[in-house]
Amino acid sequence: MTKNILETDGLTVTFGGLNANDSVDLAVPEGTFVGLIGPNGAGKTTFIDAITGYVGMSAGTATFDGEDIGALKPHERAGKGLIRTFQSLELFEDLSVRDNLLVAGYPTKWYTFILDMLHMTPKNQEIEERVDWALDILNLTDVADAMPTDLPHGRRKLVGVARALAAKPKLILLDEPAAGLDTTESTNLGRQLRTFLDHDMSVFLIDHDMGLVLSVCDYIYVLDFGQIIAQGTPAEIREDPAVKAAYLGEQAGEVQAQEADRIRESQQEEVPS
Amino acid sequence: MKELIIALIAGVGAGGLYAMLGAGLVVAFRGSGVINFAHGAVAAYAAYTFDELRENGDVYLPWFDPIPEFGFLKTLRINNLPVKLHLGEDPSTWLAVAVALLMSAFIGLLMHFLVFRPLRNAPTLGKVIGSVGVMLYLSSIIAVNFGGQNRADVGFGGFTTDSPAVEILGGTIPRSNFYLLAAAVVMGAAVWALYRFTRFGISTRAADENEKGAALLGYSPQFIAGANWVLASVLAGAAGVLFIHKTQPALFVLFVVPALGAALFGNLSSVPGATVGGLLIGIAASGGVELADKGWWPAWLPAEGVRNTVPLLVIILILYFRGDKLPIRGSISIGRQPRAPESNNVLIGLGVCVGIAILLSNIFVSSWEAILTTSLLATLFMFSLVVLVGYLGQISLVQFSLAGVAAFTMTRLAADGTKVRPNDFFVNTGWDLPDPLAALGAVIVATIVGLVVGIPALRIRGVQLAVVTLSAVIALEDILIRNTTLLGEGAKSTNPTPEPSWFGQYVGAFNPDTNRTDYWKYTAFLILAVSLVGVAVANLRRGAMGRKFLAVRANERAAAAAGIDVSKTKMLGFGISSAIAGIAGVLFAYKLPAVSSDNFSVFAGLALLAFAYLGGITTIGGAVIGGLLVAGGLSAETLGVHFEDIDVAYINAVGAIGLIINAIVTGGEGIAMLQTDQGKHILAGLRRDPTIAPPDSVLNLTQEEIQGDVEGALV
Amino acid sequence: MTDTATTTSSSAATGETLLDISNLSAGYSGVAVIRGVNLHIKSGEVVALLGPNGAGKTTTLLTVSGLLKALEGSVAVLGAPTTFGAPHKTARRGLAHVPEDRSLFFGLTVQENLKLGLRGSRSEQAAGYETALDLLPALKPLMGRRAGLLSGGEQQMLAMARALVGKPKLLLVDEMSLGLAPIIVERLLPIVRDIADNTGAGVLIVEQHVHLALEVADRAYVMSHGEIVLEGAAAELMERRDLLEASYLGGGLEEDA
Repeated sequence: MTKNILETDGLTVTFGGLNANDSVDLAVPEGTFVGLIGPNGAGKTTFIDAITGYVGMSAGTATFDGEDIGALKPHERAGKGLIRTFQSLELFEDLSVRDNLLVAGYPTKWYTFILDMLHMTPKNQEIEERVDWALDILNLTDVADAMPTDLPHGRRKLVGVARALAAKPKLILLDEPAAGLDTTESTNLGRQLRTFLDHDMSVFLIDHDMGLVLSVCDYIYVLDFGQIIAQGTPAEIREDPAVKAAYLGEQAGEVQAQEADRIRESQQEEVPS
Repeated sequence: MKELIIALIAGVGAGGLYAMLGAGLVVAFRGSGVINFAHGAVAAYAAYTFDELRENGDVYLPWFDPIPEFGFLKTLRINNLPVKLHLGEDPSTWLAVAVALLMSAFIGLLMHFLVFRPLRNAPTLGKVIGSVGVMLYLSSIIAVNFGGQNRADVGFGGFTTDSPAVEILGGTIPRSNFYLLAAAVVMGAAVWALYRFTRFGISTRAADENEKGAALLGYSPQFIAGANWVLASVLAGAAGVLFIHKTQPALFVLFVVPALGAALFGNLSSVPGATVGGLLIGIAASGGVELADKGWWPAWLPAEGVRNTVPLLVIILILYFRGDKLPIRGSISIGRQPRAPESNNVLIGLGVCVGIAILLSNIFVSSWEAILTTSLLATLFMFSLVVLVGYLGQISLVQFSLAGVAAFTMTRLAADGTKVRPNDFFVNTGWDLPDPLAALGAVIVATIVGLVVGIPALRIRGVQLAVVTLSAVIALEDILIRNTTLLGEGAKSTNPTPEPSWFGQYVGAFNPDTNRTDYWKYTAFLILAVSLVGVAVANLRRGAMGRKFLAVRANERAAAAAGIDVSKTKMLGFGISSAIAGIAGVLFAYKLPAVSSDNFSVFAGLALLAFAYLGGITTIGGAVIGGLLVAGGLSAETLGVHFEDIDVAYINAVGAIGLIINAIVTGGEGIAMLQTDQGKHILAGLRRDPTIAPPDSVLNLTQEEIQGDVEGALV
Repeated sequence: MTDTATTTSSSAATGETLLDISNLSAGYSGVAVIRGVNLHIKSGEVVALLGPNGAGKTTTLLTVSGLLKALEGSVAVLGAPTTFGAPHKTARRGLAHVPEDRSLFFGLTVQENLKLGLRGSRSEQAAGYETALDLLPALKPLMGRRAGLLSGGEQQMLAMARALVGKPKLLLVDEMSLGLAPIIVERLLPIVRDIADNTGAGVLIVEQHVHLALEVADRAYVMSHGEIVLEGAAAELMERRDLLEASYLGGGLEEDA
């Protein structure tokens, strides 16, 4: 097996005494497509936030491309090729679709603004081509000059993915890219996502659409109440009784009882009397 | 030491005022989620109303008559909007108090129904603009209705100028200081009890914390907001009336800054906290001023500067360390910003504008020189706002003070200790630098100060940044502008400007021969500067860095995910903007024979921000339109030809109204955007675009709440 | 996904119609999240609204309260149409809505929270207070405590009590069980049954715990992808676990199986 592009060891995120991620061990081997599923509120987005530096880890380590990234700021992690998308769009609404992608890719120096002011910033051919490629692969070329707000929800979602692609990721973290897409769009997206692997990158996908995750991933982790409750190939996951239970909301009492206690403790700590 | 203790104790007087105003700010915030920059102005209006009624028996309603009385309108006896009501000769003090409080309540109602209720679903930006607009409007209306004359109200009750002195430690403190302390404590306790024990108060706290929850229980958030606006305004009015014997009513407008410090001390939610905070700020400022009198105190830090720096420090410290814990209400809309399209035909636009400017200038014999240059200077300054507020989305109210810093620094750097003009009162000493170097140095100083002011922006954003920069305006004025040690003898009144000569050409506007400010080379120089800066700012938007600015403005989280260093980008924006403001400041100084801090007052700065927004804060075209609109500029003066003398205050009041309407109707896009398709929709009142339509959920639903359903169900 | 099972109406549905949703579409930013929803509740009835995450249950409730705008169709609460943007008016008519996040006022004490829910004259207030505390006696010793300091279960009890002190005619409860141990849910859910039986109020519950919900409910609707895909008497749905499972797990498992 190849080396792991991303690896977490005991990653724990705590919000006021409550473990949103509880000692998560997870690995993304280079060149593979790994999925993370789980019901709403299981801590999936928190996991991506922790890896990309948007929330602090309270314990554990995250290693990206052989380097411990725990202390880096979000933009520094992005600079290393760890690029994420957002569940809630978060596009640059004042920039055209193409500019949204260019923002991510264009290198700037401290003096770039002077060149800008003189309208002399050199075009970076490599970036421009990469942006064209990203637009093309997600079928956005026809709306390259449109504003994101003028697009239907589904295509806006794709702009987010394209923006991540344009940033030259080594690992692309997709946070629910299929949410809000109709069935055809979702199937198409799934097909496109697989092709990402051919362009020197690994893919990490979060979604609660079981269909999409099961059909595109090589390996899947299942998260519930912040903990990995199952992992394996799509075939294994499909048969796993714990997964079914988690999705039907009939998880046995133990975990939830613990949860209730934790909530109670955290609130008592948080609010001074 | 004894003097210091006496000074500290005496500080409860001013502290009482800050406490009362701070409590009112908390009330308004809890009721509506708005930080009310106009709170001091409400106090000022009440104080003027009180004084005017006692002096002349007149009451002025808080607006002005839009139809001037002259010429044929006068002969037609058109019934104008009533402004002045005569309540009879020599009304009793208590009537005056009652009317002043009623007036405050009325203003509170107007603010609620005309400004903040329409803005209830607006993003934070819109509310800040609305609140700044009200502040500018009220202070302009005060100037229109109550004029510039000094007031000498002796006060009433125990709150009088001849209040007997209390002897403490051998020093004396007016008894009224303690009355003010008592009034603040009583007021704070009353509001606290109201919030604690009455159903109205409990529902206010409830709605403040969770508007949706309150609405689902049958409480109208808008009724609660309106009632609290009235309460907050009455508190402001009471503070104004009680403190009037200590100061000029006009000064109340800016007492909003220490009051903001007090309210932040109370975490924007605790009235007792705000009361204590206000008292502490008053005490600390009074002690600081006392220390500034000592021999060892550095001369470059004047006493007034100390007084006004205390609130700034309190505000910065609180926001920096506790800013993320402040209860700024979360909202579904992240806060849509006005659009910032690229300028396409930069050169054509440039050509047209330069052509018109040259036509209007003396080069082709015209009497418009002074007016034209006013508009050009305003436009040049507004370019700095386009970069910082428009592109980068950082609401800074301090930029015009940076222009002032540059202007004064330039006079100091270029001065040579000789009398420049025969009429000059002061003679400035300085480094005698050649003019281009002095200008460059001034711009660099302004840039550095701007960067320092920008540091809080790394952690503070939105409305909080507006609060910091407003308080920085007040502090900067006293520390860096009205500072005789740093900037020369004339800094407190008028500082003579050198006669600027660039490469052998005189480029000042003042023509000593004619004693007029209409020298054509200055105009040409200014046109050149405006053109260069304008093109540069337009190009910035089209370039790689400009894209990053807009990305940061749109979404800091996503910008970081795209690998943008948000902190560095913000600093760069502050730097560029401050440099442009500095250039504008220097060129403004070139126009005048002498600069004074009044040229760069907080209201002048707010008015420029208002007109920049009105023109369109995001584009070069907007800055040009904004420049045309300012008082003393081309459009106002063109009208002035027909409408006799139109006061600056009138223009600013109209600008403030325009700013508020702009915030409500277009979300702050401004006139320049009306040419676009979306703008036409707005004009037509259609507003069907879902992205600009008011949100279809009335209250602040939490993101998670809608997430689940939106995500899953869009099939 | 249109395999509607049975449409038998419930035995308990005899009283006046308190909630009548007809052909309702609603959503965010003009995009419909729920479409063509028909739902009604009569006096004395407990109705469960079930379905997987993101099916549009919460959206339906928000629209009923007037927190969201209906894009199409109509909602009549207690005989009058809901006014969008004025949820307080609907609330004053007798609707109590316990939202998913409970919307408690954490900074207020338990007592203050309850006080805000009171309605009517002094004696009516006293009666409401008593009824609510009789149903939820665990709150009695907590009166002076701030809501933010309560445990998850206590918070949910407070949310229920606050809704009940106003003697609502129609009660909407969104995800009562969220974050609660099943044992607490088992204790809380029957309360809605009591309310319906004793006061004649209509109750709509949105629940994740399908079985618990069906145990207390008279009828149930199942939503998926914004539409009602299944409706029927609770007892019948209990028997048809296969249909329920299909609407919950969606096409995902089927497609690949």
